[in-house]
Amino acid sequence: MSSRARAPLAALAGLGAAIVAFYGAPVWTTSAAAAALGEVPPPRFSDGMVRFDRAPGEKGYWSLPSASSLIEEGVSVKMDARGRLANLADASRVAPFQPWALALYQYRQKNDFVDDPMHECIGPGNPRAMLTPGGIRIIQDRNYNRVYILYGGGNHGWRVIFLDGRKPPDPDEVVGTFYGNAVGHWEGDTLVVESIGFNTRFWFSNGGLPHTEALHLTERFSRPSHDVLRYEVTIDDPRTYTRPWKSAWTFRWVPGDIAEYYCETGRP
Amino acid sequence: MRALALFVLGLGVLLPAATPGQQAGSPGSQHPDLTRPPPRGPDGRISFAGTPQEVGNWEGPPGATMIFNKGRPAVPGAALPTNLTVDQVPFQPWAREQYMKRQANLTADDPHTRCKPSGGPRLWHTPYGIEVLDMPETKEVIFIGVGAPHSWRIVYLDGRPHPKDLKPSWYGHSIGHWEGDTLVIDTVGFNERFWLTREGVPHTSKAHLIERISRPNFYQLKYEATIDDPGAYTHAWSGGWFLRWSPGNEPFDYLCQENNRDPARMIGPQGEH
Amino acid sequence: MSIPKTSHLISSILVVLLAAAPVPSEAHHSFAAEYDSLKPVTVTGVVTRVEWTNPHTYIYVDVTDKDGKVTTWGFEMGPPHMLQRAGWKKNSLSIGEQVIVDGWMARNRSQYANARKVTRVSTGEVLGAASSGGQTLTGNPGGARPDTP
Repeated sequence: MSSRARAPLAALAGLGAAIVAFYGAPVWTTSAAAAALGEVPPPRFSDGMVRFDRAPGEKGYWSLPSASSLIEEGVSVKMDARGRLANLADASRVAPFQPWALALYQYRQKNDFVDDPMHECIGPGNPRAMLTPGGIRIIQDRNYNRVYILYGGGNHGWRVIFLDGRKPPDPDEVVGTFYGNAVGHWEGDTLVVESIGFNTRFWFSNGGLPHTEALHLTERFSRPSHDVLRYEVTIDDPRTYTRPWKSAWTFRWVPGDIAEYYCETGRP
Repeated sequence: MRALALFVLGLGVLLPAATPGQQAGSPGSQHPDLTRPPPRGPDGRISFAGTPQEVGNWEGPPGATMIFNKGRPAVPGAALPTNLTVDQVPFQPWAREQYMKRQANLTADDPHTRCKPSGGPRLWHTPYGIEVLDMPETKEVIFIGVGAPHSWRIVYLDGRPHPKDLKPSWYGHSIGHWEGDTLVIDTVGFNERFWLTREGVPHTSKAHLIERISRPNFYQLKYEATIDDPGAYTHAWSGGWFLRWSPGNEPFDYLCQENNRDPARMIGPQGEH
Repeated sequence: MSIPKTSHLISSILVVLLAAAPVPSEAHHSFAAEYDSLKPVTVTGVVTRVEWTNPHTYIYVDVTDKDGKVTTWGFEMGPPHMLQRAGWKKNSLSIGEQVIVDGWMARNRSQYANARKVTRVSTGEVLGAASSGGQTLTGNPGGARPDTP
């Protein structure tokens, strides 16, 4: 390469480095995020367990998810922040649908989500609440051995995960809920959560992906560095999808406190 | 004298029989041992929760009220002995009228029933359980409510003041501190779209609420609210109730908006079948 | 024998009275604004639908009178979690089975009531309704409360 070509390239590279240094690396891949923000290790409790929430004396919460809608990992389609596809022809690539589920998903997309129960504040449920804007906090209750996830968006609600080793209930006998019955355990520094027992009165993703009462979610929470939360969810619903499939995204730690917000239907 | 003694004896037989199989004094009995001290951490810090061996949370008693109402049965614990009667509450005239109207309509118009979040004392007689998460390391206390609106409320104990430019909200802005074993919470910034208590105590956005929460024994949480609202009352006044320990109760999923049919049928006293 | 303090005696009397009467407000709404505790009702019929929803579970029962006319009744019960704590399962009631439901009438003249208990005719099993009207979280119907210190 000639020296005349090298100089502008070097200038461009320098400019790029300056931009990255100023704004931080873009957060669309977890490995890039970890590299850019990985200098500070995650805080821990005195017994060594990783903390998903604030260190003593700290403020802050999790926000800026690197995704805005549920799509199978590795699939790239044009989609807006509400989960609406730019091209309906891409529908079959979003997840491994059974034929009936693909038809329903296409119907919901075509009708611009008019039937979304969240118009009546019914939801968001899991895992949609993990992408609803507003921020989240993950509170580890060491006394009862539970984890609470507090949501800033949607209905400003919460879910509870039991870590006491209990067996989940029989999904045929238990009434389904919006967040399922969740039991969790640790695998090293990763919290693994299994949830079963969902009802079908909500959309479990903002784009209108269907599910049935057979839904079984496996979630993995980890905090590779102070500023990054990694979230991975495996969807196993054999009545809706032809195989289990997974999606993953990250959150950034942001300063401050979660603001108050409550979904309202507009009715008195 | 003998009749009275026989009557008391009769009660003593009747009451335990209503819950067969439970010993008086045990957690699930109708007569928990109110001399049992509350649990404490290793540093002596009082706990408003249970233990891993004794899980449970707090239930507001049925009919809990800030104001004694003549003619309403005073369920033990549903009102503090220091609660005022209606005539003693320092209402401004419009506020008294609003309270009376809400009562006359049997509280049919309670926004909480329409799944609206409801700040202040209203959380503390919401059914199905309240968890208190005391977090001294991050200087916060978080209340987790199961019933409508299935939400969480945060109190900051880091010494911060109330912000100057508060936007009115359902839960207001709460700061707190400990006075011995009592958690004292100071809240301002309420909107006016909810009822402070389920009996219909009115308030305005000028309301300054002080809540004092303590645990006199294992089975009771004492809740006392002081309302200082120059928009609705001529001076500050207080009232409250005891919440009772609900043994074994755990938080559960619940969504008020899911199938809320009651508002249409809550027609107050005029309905007759 | 010592005479108890008047306040304790009054508390005890009230507890006894309340054990018999429905106590408003275990639900998210005012019982009294919607239901009439002075108008109990007992209905025998066939289950046609169960809505396992919050804030209340609803069961629908078809009642056939002696002339063969069918009326559908709706009964409000507690939220699913509380019913499950009281022993219910999602498959506890079958569509088409006969039940006897005891409750209190709605004020608005509709065929609705707040259920106090459900009896399955085939087995005699009695299921509490965990709704407003006296049932507490611990399942003691109209149960006594701790005395104030």
